[in-house]
Amino acid sequence: MSAGTQFAAAAGAAVALPARIVEPFMYGLQRLLGIKRMPWVFLVPNLTAVVLFALLPVFINIFYSVSGSDRLYPWDRPVVGGANYATLFDCDNFLDPSTCSRDLFWRALGNTLVFVPVQVTAMIVIALLTAICLNRDIRGRGFFRGIFFFPVMLSPVVVALTWQWILQRNGALNGLISSAGLTPVNWLVFPNTAFFWSVFVTVWAHMGFYTIILLAGLQSIPRDVYEAAKMDSATPWRAFTRITLPLLKPVLLVVFILAVIRSVQTFDELYVLTGGGPGSATMLMVQYIYEVGFAAQPRNFGLAAAASLLLGVALLIFTAIQMRISRGGKDD
Amino acid sequence: MASLTLENIKKSFGAVDVIPGVDLKIDDGEFVVFVGPSGCGKSTLLRLIAGLEDVTDGDIRIDADSVAHTPAADRGVAMVFQSYALYPHMTVRENLSFGLENIRMAKPEISRRVSEAARLLQIEQLLERRPKQLSGGQRQRVAIGRAITRDPKIFLFDEPLSNLDAELRVLMRVEITKLHERLGNTMIYVTHDQIEAMTMADKIVVLRKGVIEQVGAPLELYNHPKNLFVAGFIGSPRMNFVEGRIDAVGEGAVTFAADGLPPLVLEGAIEGANIGAAVTLGVRPEDFLVTDKGWPATVSVAEQYGASSYLHCALPGDRPVLIHEPGQSKAGRGDVIHVAPPAGRWHLFDADGLALRKA
Repeated sequence: MSAGTQFAAAAGAAVALPARIVEPFMYGLQRLLGIKRMPWVFLVPNLTAVVLFALLPVFINIFYSVSGSDRLYPWDRPVVGGANYATLFDCDNFLDPSTCSRDLFWRALGNTLVFVPVQVTAMIVIALLTAICLNRDIRGRGFFRGIFFFPVMLSPVVVALTWQWILQRNGALNGLISSAGLTPVNWLVFPNTAFFWSVFVTVWAHMGFYTIILLAGLQSIPRDVYEAAKMDSATPWRAFTRITLPLLKPVLLVVFILAVIRSVQTFDELYVLTGGGPGSATMLMVQYIYEVGFAAQPRNFGLAAAASLLLGVALLIFTAIQMRISRGGKDD
Repeated sequence: MASLTLENIKKSFGAVDVIPGVDLKIDDGEFVVFVGPSGCGKSTLLRLIAGLEDVTDGDIRIDADSVAHTPAADRGVAMVFQSYALYPHMTVRENLSFGLENIRMAKPEISRRVSEAARLLQIEQLLERRPKQLSGGQRQRVAIGRAITRDPKIFLFDEPLSNLDAELRVLMRVEITKLHERLGNTMIYVTHDQIEAMTMADKIVVLRKGVIEQVGAPLELYNHPKNLFVAGFIGSPRMNFVEGRIDAVGEGAVTFAADGLPPLVLEGAIEGANIGAAVTLGVRPEDFLVTDKGWPATVSVAEQYGASSYLHCALPGDRPVLIHEPGQSKAGRGDVIHVAPPAGRWHLFDADGLALRKA
């Protein structure tokens, strides 16, 4: 008997015993409720979890965004209508955050609008290049695949603390730089370098995940298609643009959506690494929401809820557009 | 149109010598089939000619030009892959024109070549479809079409029919043969199916373990196999072998003896027959004729094909033999029939497996 059939037999025995108890019970339930209501019996456990932990918070969030005061319980909170939204949008000039009553919101929004495209582009390009390298017959391929995936398994706080240790004024990087006789740079103190390292660290931490997905996509492209392209006088670049990219399109689309959502949600790494600084140079939307709602005194739940709802709506619109595009891609 | 010369071609993967050294000359316009069991190096040899693998040593010449180190695309060869290897995201038209666009051929010329190939292969109505919308046979045509549009000096086919069902395989076999007649290009065709080799080739190259066992026209190989391997590989069902020794050499006849079998007089002379030498007798199933003398064979299974019959028999000493009788055999299970080969329709192989030449 093979290991597989042994396992199946063992699993069968394990199932058989409870089935003897469960089956009469389920039949009884079906007689009681009628067969048409039975699907609900199976759906209720999952549905409860979804309602409690996803749907309900959304509605609570909506209520918080239209209510005021620093009170926690909804019944203590007076309804203020669109006042929170009005506060967020209270600007003389939308292009100049300092003219807004909540300038940090607009700065965080601006940062996010720069951070997400830059980070996602860098992430996909680097992950794709890495995947292409790892897809070749190189020595120690398994080792490198492991190495690139390793950061994904680390806690975001560990990632941030590690890089802080490297990047801080007396950190490892500056140690290397000064031992090479160059002038150390205070990487996390200047807005531009802090922004660069924010992108770098988040890409470093997550690219392994996307590399694995892209690698799987690359491996699904048959080798002989490339051989045919080689016989067809295709240069490596043309094989990449005309064969690899089109055949990788469905996988790239998935990677793109996941990367964008993930990028918009960026919080923990940067909160620990830069704290959103210097000033507000690396503060993104989620950190703003956190600070307004939980870190600042008094806690402004209403404003935080309004801001997070706006972010949610933006992501929803983005995903809808993506789904349209991906459906369009399936047709052809 | 081109001739191809392989000069002492060697190929090793690491420590494994897949092809220890092959010399071969293929003439202009020939249809050559590489045949052999799996792992004999036939596909590797084809890939070396294509330029998909680098030779470890030796030279490949197309006409007078050495191409051993020329990139695949510049050798003037085109390949049809076993898996078709069509570009799945491109239409048939794009599949056919991709290679021509890559060499920056003028648009009107591309379009002319694509329509010509499509007309030749009768796939004109499929030009706007994707490969996944095509049947196996249609994909095969597109793969061949892709090779045709490049107008190569030499066509290479790597087991192109192995993914098709039996009926379609017979059809495509005929079509490829016709295509060869029409185009007149040199074609090299790899297969493990000796029927494909027999029916399509001008010249068959039988390979085993990276070594050429014999080169020749199909019937030459069938009638005059150089050794036991070729004798056993070419021909289906395979040749019957009986081990024994030469008992007597007479005028125009040899007497073959084996333990437990009555001596058999084989009519026809051979060179270098020594009395007492250990030899293997080879007789094709259709050459074992049912006579009143000869070896007694007990029928274990009689397969009636209608037009002919196959008798699975056992000679004394439990030696299995297969006998192909034209027409519908009257022999049934358990019957004992007597069989012997007619004059000259037998082969003797020495202890090294080499054929003894007929005089």
